Amino acid sequence: MGMILKSTEFDFTEFQLSLDRSVDPSLSSNLRKDLLGKTIAFSHYDEKSHIPIGKYGSQTDPSNAETVTPIKSIQEVTLVAAVDSSSIRIAETENGCLYAIKCGVAFATNSQPLMHFKLGPMLFYLSEETVKKSELDYRIANLVLFDVEYAKRLVRIQIERAIQTYLSNHLLNSIILVDGSLNASPFENKGRNIKKIAENCSIHRNVLFGISKSTSFRVLNKISAALIQSADAAYMNIQVIIQSISRTTIGDNLLVKFGSRDSPILRVDIACCTEGISHSLGKLVANDSMAGGYPETLRLAHHVSTLTNMEVSCLKAYLLSNFDITQLESADIRKTLLGSIPR
Amino acid sequence: MKVLSKNSDELILLAIVSDTVRKGDYLLIEDGKLNRKMIVQIYDEDYLSSQTLIEDIVRDEVINASSAENLHDPLNIGKLSRMIRDARLFRTKIRGTIDTSGRMSRDFTWIPSRVQSKIRRLSIPELDAYVCRTGNFPIKIGKTRGDNEEFDIYADDLDGKLNIVTGRKECGKSHLAKILIKRLVEHGAFVVVFDLNDEYSGLAINHDGSPSSLANQIKVLQCGDGLTFSLEYCGKAAISNVLKNALDTPAASMREFFRIWDWLDNKDCLNIEALGKAVNTWNVNELVRDALISRFHLIQGSRLFLQNHGEGVRFEKIFSKGKGAAIVVCMAKITPIVRRMIVELILNKLVDLLENEIIPPIFLFAEEAHLYLRDTYWEDITSRMRHFGICPTFITNQPDAIGDAIYRQVDNIFLFNFTNDADLDRISRVSLADNDTIRSIVKTLSHRHCLAIGKMVSDLPVVVEVAELEMLAFGETRKFFSRRVEQRF
Repeated sequence: MGMILKSTEFDFTEFQLSLDRSVDPSLSSNLRKDLLGKTIAFSHYDEKSHIPIGKYGSQTDPSNAETVTPIKSIQEVTLVAAVDSSSIRIAETENGCLYAIKCGVAFATNSQPLMHFKLGPMLFYLSEETVKKSELDYRIANLVLFDVEYAKRLVRIQIERAIQTYLSNHLLNSIILVDGSLNASPFENKGRNIKKIAENCSIHRNVLFGISKSTSFRVLNKISAALIQSADAAYMNIQVIIQSISRTTIGDNLLVKFGSRDSPILRVDIACCTEGISHSLGKLVANDSMAGGYPETLRLAHHVSTLTNMEVSCLKAYLLSNFDITQLESADIRKTLLGSIPR
Repeated sequence: MKVLSKNSDELILLAIVSDTVRKGDYLLIEDGKLNRKMIVQIYDEDYLSSQTLIEDIVRDEVINASSAENLHDPLNIGKLSRMIRDARLFRTKIRGTIDTSGRMSRDFTWIPSRVQSKIRRLSIPELDAYVCRTGNFPIKIGKTRGDNEEFDIYADDLDGKLNIVTGRKECGKSHLAKILIKRLVEHGAFVVVFDLNDEYSGLAINHDGSPSSLANQIKVLQCGDGLTFSLEYCGKAAISNVLKNALDTPAASMREFFRIWDWLDNKDCLNIEALGKAVNTWNVNELVRDALISRFHLIQGSRLFLQNHGEGVRFEKIFSKGKGAAIVVCMAKITPIVRRMIVELILNKLVDLLENEIIPPIFLFAEEAHLYLRDTYWEDITSRMRHFGICPTFITNQPDAIGDAIYRQVDNIFLFNFTNDADLDRISRVSLADNDTIRSIVKTLSHRHCLAIGKMVSDLPVVVEVAELEMLAFGETRKFFSRRVEQRF
């Protein structure tokens, strides 16, 4: 654009041409070549929970079909327990944040739900002081204080691990289902971490399952073609792939299809399966309902643990009426600055 | 309870379930900051509902249906949540505000503070004090719903007014009418009852069969048993009105009848026997004679008139005693044509006596009046007769049988339960209270509960539980199977 001009002499036509020249080569010239004929699944704002239905082009040729193992239902009456939780930030003070958490524990056997426990809602206050007193590493503690998502995860992990520890100690010959992968987390307490839970499960002959609804490992989508084509419940061992990506995972890593043809492919981690993976999966399929290709106990635990708007309102009312709190009004800064045109 | 919103003359109040108020109750909203008070009446009750609340309830129900629930709720948030789910919205109508002098006025130019206002239930005596509702002749008709306090109206507010008692069948209309009659007679009033179902004679008898306190003041008249008049007492005008309006006598025949009447009157022999002879022997066109003879036979067959000279019923004698009295005219076992003759005759005679100030003003109770009152009489009763001193109370389960012209002149309505929208529409269109109040409250009234509307309650509708009656309440529906059950045991 050369020399600097006064605002009244600014040539917008020249500016546009220069802009086009500088931006063009980087993107659009290769776009057609790159995308032509491709299978595409559009992303959504809530990307985490959206998975493509059907197959990408590269998935149409199942090169590793021999690794798919069918799951046969094994009719041994076994108790299935599932744990899930949810947390939200409900308030902020000058030196910390207040989080609400709710947990759900659901039990089933012989494909029939037995009962469920609703724990909470409970409140956690995370401030410099409370975090300092915890076992958390100094850097993790700082992360938790500055990032809400990490803080919510911390609260969830702590509560879930406490419940899982209890279940692993008190159940015998049972199946414990956990939402998500069996990953060691920096937010765990030393006495209540996933390894300790797995040890307890091993001692009490429980099988520990970590079932993820979605995975961030895109490579798993590519190798799931053989499983997608399977007409019945089946699984694939993906231990090698997962171990090469993540070293914090415990147990065996699988891709599992719990239902028939159109059921989703789930990533499942399994620990303490002394009777073998097929046997453990067979017992799970026999003792928990798999409607929609997902364990009913986990689904129930999820719904039980979901914090509702009304509960959040009640928590706020509880705080206001019990703690002599002065409420500050708040405003949505994004809305204030950007306006409220829906995206 | 808190003020939530306002819409026109309505306030919506938010309440939790422990607030024990009901439809029809009055509430006092005291705005401490403005130092003003507002009186509202609850006309409808609803749940506090929002989409998320409904979703939560549905979700919880689905979860609880799928497996048994165990709760660990250390903060007891569930209790709060249940309170919100059970929170109520009370839709209220603003009835008035209390001015600085403590009197009620219709000044709606302000609204109470949502934050500062305190809301409490207003008892009916408190309400009466605000509107200065008082009178000399109280009539205890029952208890107010909710606070169970005795509720009085005043005979002064029924006097000279047009009143209607209406509701679906078997909801307690006649029961209330009997209470009104009893109290009016006790206060010394004179009452005429057109008793269609032979049920008001029970006013003279107690439950145990002994004579009631009103036994000497209740006179039961029926055709052939007390209800007989002399032609002379009825007079030419009343008899000719019977012939014209009840028996549809043509004009030519009426002219001949007048001649016959005058001739008999001159001869001083006005009685049925002489009238019969005269009609049969009168020198007149054959068709006219036939018309007169057929009417005469109807008159004779009605047993309403004395055959020879005699006194018969004399209203002035019954209504001249020092204490009140009620004449119950039984019309249960007679033909519709005789019923019309009786009503025509009695109303004409009463108007005549009132016009000449021979008797004091009377209260007239008419059950299902549309069955025996000709159309033109309705207007007569609501306009002309009221001025002579007939104060009518109509009792009906067919609100559409009463014309809009009557409703528009009505002063008081005792409104019992109606579930039919068409009936409620009819009443609410012309009634003294607003449509919302009538539709909502009346639909949910239980047996023997009524909504009192009009001047008797200073235009502030009140739900009343009608009291028990000490006397026999004839008129209950006769049932075949109840008799069979009695025989069996």
